Amino acid sequence: MSWSIGLLALPAVVFFLVFNYLPMAGLVVAFKQFDVNLGIFGSPWNGLENFAYFLESGDAARILFNTLFLNVLFLGATLAAGMILAIMLNEIRSTFFKRVSQSVVFFPYFVSPVVISIILQVLLAGASGGGGAVNDALGGLGFPTVDWYTEPGPWPWILTVVKVWQLGGYLSVIFLAAITGIPEEVYEAGMIDGASRAQMAWRITLPLLKPTAAVLLVLGVGRIFYGDFGTIYAIVGDNGTLFDSTDVIDTYVFRALRQLGDFGTTAAVGLFQSVVGFILVLIAVLIQRKYSKETSIL
Amino acid sequence: MSRKKLEPFTVVSIVGVSLALLACAIPFWMIISGSFTSESQLATTGYSLFPVSFDLTAYKMIFTGPAVLDAYFASVFITVVGTALSLAVTSGLSWVIARRLPGISRPLTVFAYLPMLFSGGLVPLYLLVTQYLNLQNSYFSVILPLLVMPFLVFVQVSAFRQLPESIFESAKIDGAGELRIFFTIAIPLSKPILAVVGLFYAVHYWNDWFMALLFIDDVHKFPLPLVLQNLISNISFTQMLPQLAEAATPVYQLRLALTAVSIGPILLAYPFAQRYFVKGITLGATKG
Repeated sequence: MSWSIGLLALPAVVFFLVFNYLPMAGLVVAFKQFDVNLGIFGSPWNGLENFAYFLESGDAARILFNTLFLNVLFLGATLAAGMILAIMLNEIRSTFFKRVSQSVVFFPYFVSPVVISIILQVLLAGASGGGGAVNDALGGLGFPTVDWYTEPGPWPWILTVVKVWQLGGYLSVIFLAAITGIPEEVYEAGMIDGASRAQMAWRITLPLLKPTAAVLLVLGVGRIFYGDFGTIYAIVGDNGTLFDSTDVIDTYVFRALRQLGDFGTTAAVGLFQSVVGFILVLIAVLIQRKYSKETSIL
Repeated sequence: MSRKKLEPFTVVSIVGVSLALLACAIPFWMIISGSFTSESQLATTGYSLFPVSFDLTAYKMIFTGPAVLDAYFASVFITVVGTALSLAVTSGLSWVIARRLPGISRPLTVFAYLPMLFSGGLVPLYLLVTQYLNLQNSYFSVILPLLVMPFLVFVQVSAFRQLPESIFESAKIDGAGELRIFFTIAIPLSKPILAVVGLFYAVHYWNDWFMALLFIDDVHKFPLPLVLQNLISNISFTQMLPQLAEAATPVYQLRLALTAVSIGPILLAYPFAQRYFVKGITLGATKG
């Protein structure tokens, strides 16, 4: 075998070592009283104090709950939306209409979370702060308007709508590809039995999409402890009045890092996040393996 | 499949898809329409689907000052250089994995897959980039942490594996080395998948604002999304824009105009890109 093939993989190996594996070693910061001047490995140990500090801070319960709650909402809603959208797109016979709608619903996937944040401002706040298109509509229909950016209550749902809007089209492409893979005979058999289009969608397409959904679910569960920082922080930012319902592990870590400069505690939170996330992935993969071996991702 | 009459479910689907289509199109239309509406109009009458009075103040501010051009340069640099590097590194790794070399390919797969499951988190990465690599305020602080996306490695591996093995065998018999096979046969045959993977990376880099937020403090080096974010969270950035004689800075209109400017390139590339994206996702979905 030729040694030269190693050269091709070398840059990637260096990348993974430096940017993925080295930071894993850097997690020892979680057990240290970090001092910038002494560096990661020179700083003194302080045992589990960073973890204790985080757990006793009173923030822990809130951000852990928010992280799990929001991610479960996001995962369920986006998968359901992608599946429903794909089934509906599949019903459309006009190729032109189908192609146009597919392109348009896919588009939000391509824009930066910051752009999504601006769109939300247009809808919920407007130029004057208390306006926005949604309030204009509410007012027009005789409902009271809402000062959205000071009300933490509706935000889990607003963020869920944002995630569905952002990812629904993307996921529908995956599901549509899976639908294309369903053999035509299955539908013909359904037609002979006199099934309506709705019955075929419900009894044939939906069950056959389960394996695809399972794979996406496992991948999603692996990320469940990561709060989709980019989107949430772009939208909520440092707006403290919304933290009650929107502050997740990632935004917390980022704030603590930026504002408090407390490396030890934030690294402890990060380590906690990675370990729990890892355990969740393993559980999800094992469960999925048990039920459908052929679609397992590991 | 021919059908005589429309079934209820088909009607529901057409309505449902139409609603989804509108929900995805209207917000962008509002942004563009709003960016041509004067600040005072926006503040008093709110939004309308068509600009009542055509107003170019915000665009004049954007295109007469260096600030937005700087941001455009930063975004283009990060996207172009980043995508080129990412593609090169990802292709090399994917090829070695795709060749199924005993004792090499399997460990490499695990090596590339593990970071998807377990990561060091933000703090060690932050310390690495700022304390050890000293990349703050360099565009490479945005490029390097995003260099390889494991998901795309697997997309590319499965594409490489679809190339006919016999070509490589015969090249080997003719005395070609592994590097030569890679550069003169595999890469030219893989242009479509390179386009797919390159597009994924390009969108990723163009839209990134998190790495820039972490590592870039110099306003002159902000990429577009970060400029936008700054316009949302504080108005200090507007001071960098040339002041027009008339009135106060139209902060709000400016945000919309800048948003329109930042999605412009995506909008232009989209008809071309979308086709490839669908190909990429479906390749990735059929497992690596």
